[in-house]
Amino acid sequence: MLLKPLIKRQTYIQLSIVSIVMALTIIAQAYLIVSIIEAIFLSNATFTAILPSLGLLLLVISLRAGMNYLNGLIGLHSANQAKKKLRNRVLTHFTKQPVDLSSQGRSGEKVTQLINVVEQTDSYFSQYIPKMIQATIVPLAILAIIFTQNWVSGVIILVTAPFIPLFMAIIGMKTKDKSEEQLNELSSFSGQFLDSLQGLTTLKLFGQSDREKSRIEDSSINFRQATLGVLAVAFTSAFMMELISMLSMGLIALELALGLIIFDTIKFATAFFVLLLAPEFYIALKDLSSAFHSGRESLTASRKLEGQLNEPVEELSWGEKSLTSRPPRIQLSGVSFAYDESETVQDVSATIEAGSFVAIVGKSGAGKTTLLHLIARLLPVHSGEVFVNDIEQDRLGEHAWFNELSYISQHPYIFSGTIYDNIQMSEPSATKEDIEHAAKQAGLEPLIDLLDDGLHTVIGEGGRGLSGGEKQRVALARAFLKQPSIILFDEPTTGLDLKTEQVLNESIEKLARHATLITVAHRMHTIQKADQIIVMDEGQVVGTGQHDALSKTNATYQSLIGDTAGGERDGWS
Amino acid sequence: MAGLNIVIRQLMKEKRDVILSILFGFIAGIAAVGLFTASGYLISQAALGVPITALTVIIAIVKLLGFTRALSRYSERYFSHRATFTMLSHIRVQFFEKLQSLTPSRVQRFRTGDLLSRFVSDVESLQNFFLRIFYPPIVLVLIFLSTVLFTLYFSFWIALLLVIGLLLSTVILPALFAKVRQTTEQPVQEKRSDLSAQATELLFGYQDLKIHQKLADQGEAFNTANDELIQAQTKERKHELWNQVLDGWVGLLMAWAVLAVGGWLIVSGQMDGVWLAMFMLLTLTVFENTQPMAAFPQYFLENKKAANRIFFNENEAVNEPIQPLGDAGAIDISFRGVDFTYPNEPRATLKNVSLSIPSDSKTAVIGASGSGKSTLLQLILKLEEASVGEVYINSQAVSQITPESLWQQTNTVMQDQQFFTGTIRDNLLSDASDEQLTYALKRARLTDFSLTDEVYEKGDNLSGGEKQRLAIARLFLRDTNLWLLDEPTSSLDQVTAREVMTEILRDAENDTLVIVSHNLKGLENMDHIIVMDHGEVVEQGTFDELMARKGYFYQLKEIEKDTL
Repeated sequence: MLLKPLIKRQTYIQLSIVSIVMALTIIAQAYLIVSIIEAIFLSNATFTAILPSLGLLLLVISLRAGMNYLNGLIGLHSANQAKKKLRNRVLTHFTKQPVDLSSQGRSGEKVTQLINVVEQTDSYFSQYIPKMIQATIVPLAILAIIFTQNWVSGVIILVTAPFIPLFMAIIGMKTKDKSEEQLNELSSFSGQFLDSLQGLTTLKLFGQSDREKSRIEDSSINFRQATLGVLAVAFTSAFMMELISMLSMGLIALELALGLIIFDTIKFATAFFVLLLAPEFYIALKDLSSAFHSGRESLTASRKLEGQLNEPVEELSWGEKSLTSRPPRIQLSGVSFAYDESETVQDVSATIEAGSFVAIVGKSGAGKTTLLHLIARLLPVHSGEVFVNDIEQDRLGEHAWFNELSYISQHPYIFSGTIYDNIQMSEPSATKEDIEHAAKQAGLEPLIDLLDDGLHTVIGEGGRGLSGGEKQRVALARAFLKQPSIILFDEPTTGLDLKTEQVLNESIEKLARHATLITVAHRMHTIQKADQIIVMDEGQVVGTGQHDALSKTNATYQSLIGDTAGGERDGWS
Repeated sequence: MAGLNIVIRQLMKEKRDVILSILFGFIAGIAAVGLFTASGYLISQAALGVPITALTVIIAIVKLLGFTRALSRYSERYFSHRATFTMLSHIRVQFFEKLQSLTPSRVQRFRTGDLLSRFVSDVESLQNFFLRIFYPPIVLVLIFLSTVLFTLYFSFWIALLLVIGLLLSTVILPALFAKVRQTTEQPVQEKRSDLSAQATELLFGYQDLKIHQKLADQGEAFNTANDELIQAQTKERKHELWNQVLDGWVGLLMAWAVLAVGGWLIVSGQMDGVWLAMFMLLTLTVFENTQPMAAFPQYFLENKKAANRIFFNENEAVNEPIQPLGDAGAIDISFRGVDFTYPNEPRATLKNVSLSIPSDSKTAVIGASGSGKSTLLQLILKLEEASVGEVYINSQAVSQITPESLWQQTNTVMQDQQFFTGTIRDNLLSDASDEQLTYALKRARLTDFSLTDEVYEKGDNLSGGEKQRLAIARLFLRDTNLWLLDEPTSSLDQVTAREVMTEILRDAENDTLVIVSHNLKGLENMDHIIVMDHGEVVEQGTFDELMARKGYFYQLKEIEKDTL
């Protein structure tokens, strides 16, 4: 259970005290009302005689309202603290997780979990727990008082009350699956409506929008029938509850009347007191059932979060060593990693000399990008070791390592902010001149000149969109600003404009002058320039060497480059 | 209010259910009041020692009222929910019609701005309109009216107290709270989207943040946004809580006042003591009915906004006159000095584009992502309209052509092709016979599917390649003169892509065809190639011409050759 430990003991104590005081005010309220009415109606008291009781009653009802407020307030604060902690925990869990290769697709889902799913747990703290405590203490207190006044009424309540949860349970069992199914249908129904709205253009292009209109109407009505079917069951359970409480209150009234007139065993005051308290008992029971209901959504949300938090985290550990010489020499010794079939690296050994240029080649799914992530230490090696200047990589300090590293991926992320901010993030202490220079080197000048706000144009989410090529150039500018001694580069496969192609070529060469460059390469001219080519297939290294040698001896390499050498592959788009 | 008026009009189509809801709501409420009033009377009379027969009658009445109440409540709920769901159905249809009447570019804007899902949840939120805004006040007034009339028979002053209490809890307090609420409501939504934006940056930009060691900073920003959201929520919810508590307190206060005033009246001999318990219970019960009114202002404001958002007033300038595209059999297209800029974008997406596509020709538009290729097709289809310049189809300006007549003659595969919840048959968007439909699937190489196979929301159960083939199957069911295809086979393997393209070209042999692609293979067979870069046409011509020129296209081709 994820949610329960998030509630402080103190909160339970506060809620219990508030509920006890509330029960006392309910009892006092009934008692005072009875005593005032009895004084006037039967004892012919003067008005001044009842004034103290009236004053006290005013105080008691205000206190009751106050307790209601406090109850809500405690719930609210407990929910606030819990949500804060939960968001923190979920976020920490997400950030501890090393770069998830499939994360591109799952990031949206993660945002939903952080914001909406956590929000859905709110009612557990703000409604369910406070109401549960209140609905346990208040009816018990009332029942106890009724027993002291007239045990027969107490017995009637004791006998009839269990029917309420019993009926609820029976009906609940029958409807639970159905209504949950219905809830799903509810969300899928609005999804279906959204489908129709979003597809309007397609529908119009195919001349089908009128047909869709009648489809919306039909499915709306079908949905209404299905929903009403389930609701009717819920209404029935409310009906049963109401009926039972009404009947038992009637029974109590009858018993009291008989006691008053025929047997003369009960006094007016007692009878009236019990009559006032009995409905309060059933109201409290009703609250209990609504508390159960409000807790349900929260528990579903909690299960979702729990599932997420229970996913194992492969935390990366770091040491404190710093890099001894730059650019560094990197050695892979029997490195393995497995996530799923396409993200597997098996027993990879290789030496990447200081300042050299290494190209990793292979078919898609051969494990190239995973290997790059392992070298970057964005993923932990499962076995084997990565050495940087003969030091185990995990003994390096995290800052010492990342300060030396630039990683230019195929899809660099652009943060919401100005172009300036987006470049500066790689080197916070950089001056304006440095940043302008980096932008220029990365070929961003033509773009910047075009924009009214130049470098200070807002881009990213909510700002203006950049083309794929422009994003690449921003990533390059980050690298130029940082001047790293290790560059990891995932060469784009397709879809770049000529200008970016040219900028990329020149830039990579410039950047590589003072750095060890490791690139997942797709272009022949990049590959041919490499000091060393690592050929990968199904997660394993099947060959290393230079182009001339590999093209003569390595079958995998031959088949890889064969396509380009052979010229045209035909196909479309 | 304009939006809510439309909602009311839709609701009024269900008069019978509306009236039944009000009727049963009233019976349920008044039965409860009667029940407790009778019990109060019963207990007082019992204290005075009336004959048992008189009491039996009252007890019977009490039981009957109890049963009536439970049954009426059930009926009230049933009818009010039925009215609500029927109303929602009307509103959905009406909203769809409204969207249908808008220009495609307007709808396109809604889609990209994610406004459509907002509309859908707005429609859903209107389910509170009847259930919590429209009929509860009517029921409440009816119950009070009856109760006050009944009370008036016994005491003017107690009746007056009830009226004061009603005004206090249903008019004065809600108005007060509504006023305060307007000032607190805005921040919560804002803070929520702030938090969501921070989370998005953190999770989508994770890798870059990690390498640039900015994770902690971004985490800090997230926590700050979280704190701010919680603060705003606390303010709002405290306010709601006050509202609720105060409302309950007013009910108790009124019972207290009745007790005090009633007590005074009895002591001063203006009323019989036997009624006091009765009025006390009556007051306690009748004010239970005002409790739902505490949330009224909140629901009202929400629904008003939602309704106004859904039924917004469009201020679109409609460029008349418009005429249908003549059915000439063949279609040629030309762009003359076309500029196009998306709203809120400082840069133009298309710049001074001039080109011509002769009838029955096969044209390929190529270029990098973001070069404006798809926009070109959208302008031809009138899904967007040129900011400067004009697109001509068969020498008719596109701005003067009715879009329906154009679409009728066009076969399209767009980038964001839509799929619908339903079956494969539904998704073929055609009235053709089952044999024809099955044949179209076969031609699109979708033989694994039958017409009755289910398709989920947005086609989520189909792979990218299956979606593309389904979109292509739609084409084979129509006989048109113009084909506009935006990367139709990008998710297919080469063999299937070639097979499917052959099928398309067979059908389009005597038609005009424009295909957008960022892939350069197989272009030798095209009559015409248009090369785009950052919104401009940088080159055009036949494959051989472009290769001979050794320009942009040639260089792209060189890079492609160079790519593994």
